[in-house]
Amino acid sequence: MYTIGKVAMLAGVSTDTLRYYEKEHLIRPASKTAAGYRLYNDEAMRRIRFIKHAQQCGFTLSDIRELLTLKQADGACCEDVRSLAIEKKLRITHKLLALQAMSHALDDLIKSCSGGKAVTADCPILAALENSLAEAAR
Amino acid sequence: MSVRIEVIAAPGCGKCAAAQGELRAVAISLLGEDNVFWREIDVMEELDYAVSLGVLSMPAIAINGELTFSALPPPDQFRAALIRLAPH
Repeated sequence: MYTIGKVAMLAGVSTDTLRYYEKEHLIRPASKTAAGYRLYNDEAMRRIRFIKHAQQCGFTLSDIRELLTLKQADGACCEDVRSLAIEKKLRITHKLLALQAMSHALDDLIKSCSGGKAVTADCPILAALENSLAEAAR
Repeated sequence: MSVRIEVIAAPGCGKCAAAQGELRAVAISLLGEDNVFWREIDVMEELDYAVSLGVLSMPAIAINGELTFSALPPPDQFRAALIRLAPH
């Protein structure tokens, strides 16, 4: 059995994070000491590593709860998990495209301005943003 | 009137295959076989296309290039969507 401090150190997360995972029903201590301190077993350690790896792949805690439920559901199959992973990839790809569009828009703004000491009233970037706001309002 | 119906899904889902067959039958009975261009798209093979349609969940259905359903609809809803396409 591990104390919360030991688990936090081994897993590389804070004790607050572990308490938050518990509040979100992602992990739970195997038992508590007479004084009420949480004690975790190896299964909890495995879950915490699972959560961390899933987060690195972009899954939210809500997604992870679903993955953990699928992991334990009798009727679930690999295809269900794969579908979740594909849907996550679709969302990430959408975000990437949106970020690329923002990056291109910034390129255009940066190209429009050569910098220098001109007063901000003459700044092409601010003017372009002002114009696009006016166009959007029309 | 020819209608392009695209089902974007991850292959291997047994329950989806049965539901898709039912929807295809609805489209054919309503529009006629010659007027239905039915395509089943493997999302991983055409991910960019799926993203361009705005697909975030599966199976999704696009009708004439517009994302119309983000999950397989009941047959009556699908039929209603196809009827709305018909010229008045």
